[in-house]
Amino acid sequence: MTRAYISCDMASVALGADDIAEALTAAGCTVIRTGARGLFAIEPLVEIETTDGARIAYGPVEPEDVPAILDDTHPNRIGDLATLPFFAKQQRFTFARCGITDPLSMADYTAHDGWKGLAAARALPPQAVVDAVKASGLRGRGGAGFPTGIKWQTVLDAASPEKFIVCNADEGDSGTFADRMLMEGDPYCLLEGMAIAGHAVGASHGYIYVRSEYPFAIRALNAAIERAGPILAPFTVEVRVGAGAYVCGEETALLESIEGKRGQVRAKPPLPAIQGLFGQPTVINNVLSLAAIPFILAEGPERYAEVGFSRSRGTMPVQLAGNVKNGGLFEIGFGITLGELVNDIGGGTESGRPVRAVQVGGPLGAYFPPSMFDLAFDYEAFAAAGGLIGHAGITVFDDTVDMAAMARFAMEFCAVESCGKCTPCRIGSTRGVETLDRIIGDRIKGAAQREQALEAMPQMRNAKVKHRSVDEEIGVLRDLCETMKFGSLCALGGFTPYPVLSALDHFPEDFGGARALPQAAE
Amino acid sequence: MMSTDQRLAYMADQIARNFAAIGHDKAAMATADHIAKFWDPRMKARIAGLTDSLGPVAARAIAILQEKGAPPPQTHATEYADVAGAGHDDAG
Amino acid sequence: MGWIGEIDLGTKPMPVTGPLVSLTIDGQPVDVPAGTSIMRAAALMGTNIPKLCATDTLESFGSCRICLVEIDGRAGYPASCTTPVTPGMVVRTQTDKLAKLRKGVMELYISDHPLDCLTCSANGDCELQDQAGAVGLRDVRYGYDGANHLDAAKDESNPYFTFDPAKCIVCSRCVRACDEVQGTLALTVDGRGFSSHIAASQDEDFLSSECVSCGACVQACPTSALIEKEVIKVGTPDKAVITTCAYCGVGCTFRAEMRGEQLVRMVPWKDGKANRGHSCVKGRFAWGYANHKERILNPMIRASVHEPWREVSWEEAIAHTASEFRRIQSTYGTRAVGGITSSRCTNEETFLVQKLIRQGFGNNNVDTCARVCHSPTGYGLKTTFGTSAGTQDFDSVQHSDVILVIGANPTDGHPVFASRMKRRLRQGAKLIVIDPRRTDLVRSPHIEAAHHLSLRPGTNVAVLTAMAHVIVTEGLFDEAYIRERCDWDEYEDWAAFVSEDHRSPEASAEITGVDPDELRKAARLYATGGNGAIYYGLGVTEHSQGSSTVMAIANLAMATGNVGREGVGVNPLRGQNNVQGACDMGSFPHEFSGYRHVSDPEARAMFEDAWGVPLDDEPGLRIPNMLDAATDGAFKALFIQGEDILQSDPNTAHVAAGLAAMECVVVQDLFLNETANYAHVFLPGSTFLEKDGTFTNAERRIQRVRKVMSPLNGFADWEIVQMVAQAMGLGWNYTHPSEIMDEIAALTPSFANVHYDALEEHGSLQWPATAAAPLGTPTMHLDGFVRGKGRFVVTDYVATDEKTGPRFPLLLTTGRILSHYNVGAQTRRTDNVAWHPEDLLEIHPHDAENRGLHDGQWVSLRSRAGETTLRALVTERVAPGVVYTTFHHPTTQANVITTDFSDWATNCPEYKVTAVQVSPSNGPSDWQESYEAQAKRSRRIEPRLEPAE
Repeated sequence: MTRAYISCDMASVALGADDIAEALTAAGCTVIRTGARGLFAIEPLVEIETTDGARIAYGPVEPEDVPAILDDTHPNRIGDLATLPFFAKQQRFTFARCGITDPLSMADYTAHDGWKGLAAARALPPQAVVDAVKASGLRGRGGAGFPTGIKWQTVLDAASPEKFIVCNADEGDSGTFADRMLMEGDPYCLLEGMAIAGHAVGASHGYIYVRSEYPFAIRALNAAIERAGPILAPFTVEVRVGAGAYVCGEETALLESIEGKRGQVRAKPPLPAIQGLFGQPTVINNVLSLAAIPFILAEGPERYAEVGFSRSRGTMPVQLAGNVKNGGLFEIGFGITLGELVNDIGGGTESGRPVRAVQVGGPLGAYFPPSMFDLAFDYEAFAAAGGLIGHAGITVFDDTVDMAAMARFAMEFCAVESCGKCTPCRIGSTRGVETLDRIIGDRIKGAAQREQALEAMPQMRNAKVKHRSVDEEIGVLRDLCETMKFGSLCALGGFTPYPVLSALDHFPEDFGGARALPQAAE
Repeated sequence: MMSTDQRLAYMADQIARNFAAIGHDKAAMATADHIAKFWDPRMKARIAGLTDSLGPVAARAIAILQEKGAPPPQTHATEYADVAGAGHDDAG
Repeated sequence: MGWIGEIDLGTKPMPVTGPLVSLTIDGQPVDVPAGTSIMRAAALMGTNIPKLCATDTLESFGSCRICLVEIDGRAGYPASCTTPVTPGMVVRTQTDKLAKLRKGVMELYISDHPLDCLTCSANGDCELQDQAGAVGLRDVRYGYDGANHLDAAKDESNPYFTFDPAKCIVCSRCVRACDEVQGTLALTVDGRGFSSHIAASQDEDFLSSECVSCGACVQACPTSALIEKEVIKVGTPDKAVITTCAYCGVGCTFRAEMRGEQLVRMVPWKDGKANRGHSCVKGRFAWGYANHKERILNPMIRASVHEPWREVSWEEAIAHTASEFRRIQSTYGTRAVGGITSSRCTNEETFLVQKLIRQGFGNNNVDTCARVCHSPTGYGLKTTFGTSAGTQDFDSVQHSDVILVIGANPTDGHPVFASRMKRRLRQGAKLIVIDPRRTDLVRSPHIEAAHHLSLRPGTNVAVLTAMAHVIVTEGLFDEAYIRERCDWDEYEDWAAFVSEDHRSPEASAEITGVDPDELRKAARLYATGGNGAIYYGLGVTEHSQGSSTVMAIANLAMATGNVGREGVGVNPLRGQNNVQGACDMGSFPHEFSGYRHVSDPEARAMFEDAWGVPLDDEPGLRIPNMLDAATDGAFKALFIQGEDILQSDPNTAHVAAGLAAMECVVVQDLFLNETANYAHVFLPGSTFLEKDGTFTNAERRIQRVRKVMSPLNGFADWEIVQMVAQAMGLGWNYTHPSEIMDEIAALTPSFANVHYDALEEHGSLQWPATAAAPLGTPTMHLDGFVRGKGRFVVTDYVATDEKTGPRFPLLLTTGRILSHYNVGAQTRRTDNVAWHPEDLLEIHPHDAENRGLHDGQWVSLRSRAGETTLRALVTERVAPGVVYTTFHHPTTQANVITTDFSDWATNCPEYKVTAVQVSPSNGPSDWQESYEAQAKRSRRIEPRLEPAE
């Protein structure tokens, strides 16, 4: 019987993968649901296994295409996916199995090098495992880029009868989906990484905190936890479902949420590594960090570390989204330039218009103009350029984008998602929206006089009664950004200035045409 | 409502009952000590005339008081521990 | 005394556990204990880093973001409140960058804050205003037309404070105070981001929420968002006097804050060693009775209780009192008169009343309200340990691992200590509750009793003996401790006694109603769970076996080695503010001050020498004996200071009959209380705000009471007693209470070092304060028991004679409630009635159903002693077969129901067990109607004839 592979990933299903699978089953095929390959331009995607075990890909396809597929006459025949440039250029360390195996098949996982890392780790004393992670150069893939091995060392060194491994799967950044793809497409990989972490630091229980918007991932994880239980033992894992607050992706707010409290950021110190979940030493890592671990243990840290750029070692699963032709997941060693990712891999905009800006690192990442596309994908290089890699989501915009509106959106996003604990974020984001509204309003209306009845009253001696110019308003906005950036308790308020300032710096013409140089605020 | 005599007899018997577990003789001594240390002299005088209505322990206690006067302390309840003793700074 | 500003060091102190950490702040070296925050380290060297969300009574939180600092070698601007010091750290608290950041944050705060500082009730007592000035904010460039909370509705539901969300800066200090300090968790932040706001319970108003009005949130608020209504009305205070609360036995220290002689507010004092800066609704807010219109300010006399009162001069009242007592003594004998000292008055005043009786009346007919509350504590602890007081200080509970609460309801009765206990329980200490009711402690936020032994009222001794049975028979006792510290032979006798089969949990379950498995687990936990501390209250003492129960508790503690260090001990939770002190001062008819028996020739000689008269060597009458003697015609006059025996003592009809049979009853009190209905002389009393003196709390802590305002009646109570003594020819001449304390110290060994200058210097002293322990004794029996060897006492379970039966099938137990105090004379005259306007009868739904009763219905409550009516509260807090009520309201007269049964050793009344029946009712009982008519008649005051011009 013909074996057909179709993704059961949420994005693939949204594009109609289930209907294709049904049609193939009806046509007598044995259908195997896999994770997603990661290139959504060719979804729904079907791969037909040949007699020699190779797979011939077709995509995108529709249910009525089944006969043509089985005849091998379909015009969207791609052939061997690995030869497609989008895949040929990748270095799939973390996503090696994703799209190839049946996510919940233990046999598949084992056959594709699964559990090797765990076996290797358990043959080592905990300190040797931590040393391997250190040697790999792995840094936190959630955005902060903190060396994972050092974090584990702190937890290993913390004396406590009870420790926890917490996986942050509250993937809330716009344009990101790597965590979801991994959890849906290769959940055992994440569980293996967590079990290795448990062995390394002396933790016997783990939590995966998943956002409720990921029902497929939650289902896949729960099924995987049940099936892998005996292998993971004595380590145990449970899934906790978030309730839709972006701030719960912040590690301390996430811990509060698991504890059943209001999702509110904790002040650090104490670090979660010393006093984390329920006050116990806790490793809290992103899905991608933990999913990188089995490879590092199985293949050796050198193998991981030999890929990369400068202090950013290994690979990064980059997510291309927004107005981009080849949207999808692209895992590659650090060092590739932004331009290569957007233009060569992404193929430019979907609309066909010129790229005007890309935002890297989610809603709190900086906007970059094409003039900066030679920037190497690297934590330090991005920081030096006033941006951040974050969770490596890249959102592409064409030349119709209004960057003042995008700056306003950043402030509005912060205002909506702020937990309300610290003042720069709680009040500052709302004042940011208001200030940008004044700037945008003035841009539209020109320098028309606004009503300032209260400020004009003689009692208000300290209030400015004269209408402020756009430049002055921009000065206020820049000061606000500085207050938020350096004053906020967590990254939500602290990073909101990135999109705002980068929009101001690189696209001043969208803010009323005034030349607002960074130093103007000082 | 009890009369004063009934109440005094009840009180004496109640004290006796609470000492009963240590045995008749000791209980009678303890009851006598208790009444001597805590009762007003007019109450003591009055209970002396009520022995017929008392239980055996209380009756014996009253007899002890009449025959020998107040016994030495039996329960430590009214003993005064000296403050001066080092480490035993008392409260009394 | 002028304004004493309280210094706020921002974060909590850290214990010194190792070498100090050295660091540099703004170029200055400073050494602090490890774990100290940068903020506190800076404050200790005199540098105040701006702050809003930090305060040194709460855990640091890090939300306001104006305390940011720069640290060499560290990126960014860490918050100084949440960053602990590290060795060699170099910190800068003031740089251009920091100044700009702080100003930027403050600009945001002020952009959502009303600019009404001139008319704001905070009037400068506002940290937001202080910090806005400190950071140099001069302009809010965002304007004032943005989003804001200025129209948010004010919550004025609480009688004592308001919440104005417009002035709230969402620093969460109130929420954290409610969590950390009070432990009620009534407040939360609702909403998020800009719409974050403080909410009481489920966004209710404060009054209908779970808020217990302890004031911790008001105290913590840095603005006037939460502020006392009295401050809104009067204005901010300008001076403060440190004094001691006159409510319960916790003895909280307060700053009485005033304008002139007008008290504006009472604020718990951080340095108070009993309360550590916390308070409850009574001490914090319920002081309005001091100026209540019903206070009597002029002395009054009358020939008979059927006549109206006649206001007279002080001279006439005093002379009349003295001559009546002398007349009665010459007619009926020396022993025909007596007096009752007050547990609400100062040590000095109490000492004077008993001195008046012993020296002036020439007898020992003195008693005090401890007769009806903790007299069994005195008997039981003296017998076993050698000391008539609790063994620990309140701080001790922080070191406890297992806390056993028996017959006490601290969240209502001793709320400030309860908060301390709850904090320890939230940290993980285990809790055992032995109580017929499911008190709040059994299950409250983040607290759940490991074992709740819901026993049948009156079976404490059987339950405790069963616990001892488990401890002895399962080998859980501490043999080394017992051999070293206790009398081993007595231990063996006791161990044999408790080991008998019929004292096992299983055998006694039929009597006690307690599940034997639970009891065994509770006993094992107490014996083996680490530091075990026992706290008990009137649920232990107010029984026929009150003294036995106290001794049974002491036995358990000794058998498990739980006496003589921090974290353990036997701790009576004392009811009234100075009940410990009243006992210490020789208020009992058989003892001089310091618990020395009147028959002790040495002690008597000491007093005879000092007072120059021979003293009676026979014990005097206890209160119930006085009343018996009165009905028999042998007791004719009674001097009562600050005590309302008609309402507080059992079997009201018996008390009334005794009082009615007397020829001269003198009542010295603030109000015409219920007892005054039977009085012939009324001497107006003074409040604790109007005099100097000392109170002694439940941890034996002697604390100063300081005069805040002049007595409205003209004299402090000690002056009034002195005038009576002088009129009787006793030649007293005290000019200040400190002279009375000097006399107490000279005559009382355990008070040898207690003098006012020492109290001023050390703040407070816990007796014994002697030459050997000049600074007092926080923990008793450290090296050995006071008496030498701890004594095990066989405590047989002797059931009460109060039995249920077909006519009276239910058991009534009585107690109190958070918002009221004792007979309610004070709290009923405050806005505390908002929480508890009447006494209610708690009854289990099953018992209510059987009688066809529903919630809120008027019911008749009958016992063998009497009958009253009140409304029913149907609740599962009480077990089936048990009903409960409070005794705060004279209209209910709960003590009409209670009986004459009392503790075998001390006559402490059996308030906790009365067999009753409950049935539907239409209105007040006959007693209530006739009593009310009598009270109304008795309270008439003839208008005073003003002398013609």
